[in-house]
Parts: sequence; structure tokens; C-alpha cells
Amino acid sequence: MIGYLAGRSPLHRAHPYTTLALAAAVLLVAFALTRPLEVWLLVAVAAVLAASGGGEVLRSSVRAALLLSLPIWALLFVLYGLLGAEPRLALGVVSLSAPGMARALVLGGRITAIVLGFLTALGTTSPHRLVEAMTASGVPFGRTFLLASTLTVLPRMRDRARQILEAQQCRGLRIGGSPLARLGALGPLALPLILGALAEVDEQVLALDARGAGGGARRTALEAPPDSGPQRLVRWALLVAVIVAYGWKFWRMRG
Amino acid sequence: MTLRDLVLIRLGVAVNLVIGQIVAALLLPIYLDSVGTILIAALVGPRAAIAAGLVSQILGAVISGNFSWLPFAVVQVVIALYAWAAARLGLFRRLATAVPAGLGLGLVAASCSAPISYFVFGGVTAGGVTMVTTVLRALGAPLGVAVASASYATDLLDKAIACALVSAVLRSLPQTLAARFPALAR
Amino acid sequence: MTAVMALEGVAFRYPGAAGEALSGVSLGVAAGEIVALAGDAGAGTSTLLLVATGLAPRLVGGTLTGTRRMPGRCGIVFSRPWTQLTGLCSTVGDEVAFGPASLGLAREPVLASAQRAMERLGITHLAMRDPAHLSGGELQRVVVASVLALEPDLLALDDPAAELDPAGADALYGLLPALAAGGTAVLVATPDLERAARVATRVVVLAGGHVVADGPAHLLEGTRVAAIARAAGCPPPYPPDVPSLLRRVGP
Repeated sequence: MIGYLAGRSPLHRAHPYTTLALAAAVLLVAFALTRPLEVWLLVAVAAVLAASGGGEVLRSSVRAALLLSLPIWALLFVLYGLLGAEPRLALGVVSLSAPGMARALVLGGRITAIVLGFLTALGTTSPHRLVEAMTASGVPFGRTFLLASTLTVLPRMRDRARQILEAQQCRGLRIGGSPLARLGALGPLALPLILGALAEVDEQVLALDARGAGGGARRTALEAPPDSGPQRLVRWALLVAVIVAYGWKFWRMRG
Repeated sequence: MTLRDLVLIRLGVAVNLVIGQIVAALLLPIYLDSVGTILIAALVGPRAAIAAGLVSQILGAVISGNFSWLPFAVVQVVIALYAWAAARLGLFRRLATAVPAGLGLGLVAASCSAPISYFVFGGVTAGGVTMVTTVLRALGAPLGVAVASASYATDLLDKAIACALVSAVLRSLPQTLAARFPALAR
Repeated sequence: MTAVMALEGVAFRYPGAAGEALSGVSLGVAAGEIVALAGDAGAGTSTLLLVATGLAPRLVGGTLTGTRRMPGRCGIVFSRPWTQLTGLCSTVGDEVAFGPASLGLAREPVLASAQRAMERLGITHLAMRDPAHLSGGELQRVVVASVLALEPDLLALDDPAAELDPAGADALYGLLPALAAGGTAVLVATPDLERAARVATRVVVLAGGHVVADGPAHLLEGTRVAAIARAAGCPPPYPPDVPSLLRRVGP
């Protein structure tokens, strides 16, 4: 929903692995916390993270996180608040389930924290910089290739899908009507797209091979992002924090 | 993994992520976000299909911003393995065998995703499945049953159509192109 | 001139194919030569390029018989610019540098090779642009530069101007003499006989997988188009050159 937004914040200048580690830590810790207060504390932490990415990142992340979370909050409210178990609280005309609302707050807060964390990471990590970081740290070519080049071929494939839709409509294909009729339209739209893509594979493989891709030698990173001791320390500390969080969760479950 | 495998996996991921656009234009209540995975399982093999499923999950989350889908990654592995087994048994050669295979896949996939949805997310993920869950719950079903029913209903339909589509693709491959995929000959 | 690439009695059959795509083909290309491969669809020109650059049978499968001497490094350019991008690079400069970088060379030599290649193709002004936003003609130049950055001894081109507009096609074919002058052997398969005739030093005509003619560029005068032009009373050169025809007609 939001892509990379250029900037000069500490998060922008950090090594991409650090930013991703922060987002991953938020994700993992979110599932370790089980009380509404703890979860919403994590949401606050995620918000601080977003703020450290600069004003524009904060605004975009918060806006996108709200847009993504609101439907979920609404469903949680209905599923747990209105339709939840005893004991119930009366709030004017509406009666809400107390344990249900607590659970709803936890689940909703979790998703909000996770989404906020990752949108911040997305907004402050340029794909190019991430690819260079992965290449510099020796990640096998296949992995960088799959993650990076797929994003590049997607717009072309989407355009092709649109062109096929227009072409088939010119030929008389109707995309409205009964569900069965619409299902029937799936073939003429999807088959040319997939078959066309398959037919290009051989040429793509030949072209990539001719450029030395996947040749076995370790590819030189031309603009490797700088890493530093303190950042590596931060990443290790995040790992420790996640382990501690889960340790605490299981200790609480036992006792 | 050869360069050809990588390009095919990339194609599978792209198909997974783009077919949803066609489905949305047709206003069908399905996602068809595993068509690419199933196709690569039939054309290449299980490892490639698993890679396609996992990368689709990651990139799908990156594109939509909804990272709560990442725990469902294990479902992608299950889909890849099932699809490969179905391909080895030749179930994609005819529509009459592909659709039941798809129903079976829907059963298996829902059996994996429903517990994840229930235990990890309390039954609430984004999308139409949760709507169905809510309606069932409002009608009095216990939460577990509502989550499971919603998952099964959508997955059965989704995977049956996905397998039918993959079967159509494989049957439409021109002879010269089909010859480039040794996995099909078996 | 010693041949950079030499084929002697080569036959090639694709996997699962009934007939041979190439049979009894003998061909040599020397450094600095521009050899045009002419032939109808199915004559085997594309296959010959794949065999000459060593991509067949290594990547496409199939069986090869006969003697083949390949150059140290080969490059190949196909007709569709889009399918030849790596997809990993956000700037033209990175895309061109991808080849040398994949060889694991150090940073400075990689950037130097890329810079040289971009200068030869005249695209240094595009270095910071995103490949996704370039026109077909510009993109095809980027592709050629990307291949040249690896400093191949043999550059093969398969109908490189197929998707370009006439100006772009002229520009692309116009680059070939300069490339050949730099010592590269150039082998270009093309149905565009008019443009090929302008730049090729030698022409090889294929039909049904066999070489039916191999000689200087004026061999193209024997083609159907040239025969029709001659019969219609058009002035030389054959095949007819549109600019010279227009000059005859006059304003």
C-alpha cells in the first residue's frame, strides 16, 4: 500500500537488515503478549518507530495501518464484543462481553502493531538498497532474484492482463451475468496470460544466462549499504528481546 | 536450482499475484492466489512450488501491507506438496479428475489454515472469510465451528476452480512447449 | 583472419523434434566481420545463433553433432527488449554493470566496463534512468550495452530491431560497424534485408536448416525482393534502398 518514501531519517540511513529486524521483532513480540495493556504498549512502540522514520513515513504508515485495521477492528467488535461470552457490560443500549472486548483489544492491537511496524520498514527501505545489502552479505543469487525481479515483472503482467481483458471484450466476451457465466469468462482471460508468460520463459533464461546470472561466482555489490557495530548489536538485542518475551509468555502460562 | 527453475518460480509467483486482478474484475468470491503454486508443482516439482508459495506470501504481504498473512506460510507448503502429488498421479490430465483433486486440496488447505486463523488470530483475518465467520457466529454457531466452516466453504470452491484452471493450462500447452517440461511426461 | 567462431558439418536437433533444425552447416566468423544470416521463418537462423554462442544444446537440450569451435566469451541479443532485463536493477547503469558484477570482478573494473559499454552505445545520458520507463529503441540499446559490458568476442543478434520503429532500427543497425571495428565478431540473424545489406560484410543464406549461400553482401541481390525490384525496373542497389528510391522519385 505504501512503497518506499525517500528521506534522511535514522531509519533510512540504517542498514536494511536493522530496519527489517525491528519490524520482525514487533511481529514476533506481538504474538507473545496476551494482555490488552501490553499489546497497546507495543503499538505505541511501533508508532515511535514510525515517527523515527520522519514525518512523511509516520503519516503514511499510520494512515495505511488505520485503513487496513479498521475493517478488522469492526469485525472483532462484532465477533467478540457483541457476540462474546459472559460476563457482559451494559453500555446504554448495547451490551458488550467483557472478556470478549479484552480479546478484541489484544487481537486488534496485535494486527495494528505488526502492520505499523512493517509499513515503517517498507517506507524506509528502498528495494534497491535491500538487494545490494543481500548481495553484499552473500545471499544466494536465487533468493535476491526471486524477491526483487518479481516485483519488476508484476506491472508488465498486470498490463498484459488488462490488454487481454480489453481484447477479449472486443471479441464479444461478456464479464457480467450469472456467477456461472462469470466463471466461464475466467478461462479466456487467464489462459492467454499464463500461456503467454510460459512462452517467454526460454528466452528469459537464455538472456539471463548470457549475462552471467546464477553463474556461481559471487556477485559484486556495487553500492553496499554500510553496516556498523552498534547496528549489529541492536539486531542481536532484538533477538534477545524476542526470546525473553516468549520466555515470559510461557512462564506466565505455567504459573 | 537452475536458472530455468528460478524463472519458472518467478512466473508462478507473478501468476499467484496477478490472477487476483482478473478474479476481482469478474466479481467472483474467490482468490485463486495459489494457481501459480499448483502450476509450478505440475511443471517443475515440489521444491520449486514451495519456493513459489513462500515468495508469493512474502511479496503479497509487501504489496498489500497486510503482514498478518505471514503465519499462513505453512499452508503454502502443504498446497505445493499436495499439488505435486496430484500432478504425479496424473490428476490434472482431465477436468473430471482435476476438480475432485481441487476439492481435496481445499479440504487439506482449510484444515491447515483454520487452526492458524483460530489460534493465532482469533478467527479474524482480513477479507470475506471473516465476514462469513461473523455471520455464522451471529447465527449462533460457536466461534471454532464458524471459523472452520467459513474456511472450508471458501477453500473448497477456491481450490477446485484453481485446479480446473491449471488442468486447462496444461492441456492447452502447445506440443513444443510441453516438451520443455520433463515433469509433464511422467 | 582467424575465425573467432567456426562450425564444421554441424547438425542440431531439438529435444523431441522429428527433424533436424540444422544439418551440415559449416560457417566461420572472424573478428571484425559482420555476418548477416538470412532465411525464412523455420530456416534455422535463430537455432544457428544459439549453437554458435554455445547456448544450444547446453540450455535448450537437444543433440549436436559435428565440430564446433566457440569463442571465449559470447553475447546474444534477442528481439524483445523487455524479456532481456534482469529485473534486479533500478537504473540503466546497474543493468549494464550486472554482467561484469556477476563474474565477481572488483568494483572498479565492473564500473569501468559498464562505462565503456555505455559510451560505445551512446547511452551514458541514460545511466540514472529506470529501465522500466525507456522506449523500445533506448531499451534495446541498453540491452546491447549490457551484453557488451562482458566484452564478448562474438556478438550474436537475433532480429534485434523487430520491435523498434524505423528510426530505432536504423540506429541499431548503424551501431554494428563501430562494434565490429572494435574487434568484436558480429553475427546478426534478420529478415530485414535492406538494413542488413547496408552494414554486413558477408551474408549467409539458410533454408530448411542448410546453408544455401555464403558470400559477400551483394549476394542479397539474389533474393526475391531484389529480383522483384530488378524486374520492376528499380535502380540499384538491390534489395532496394528506400531512401535512394525516394531520391529518384524526387520532391
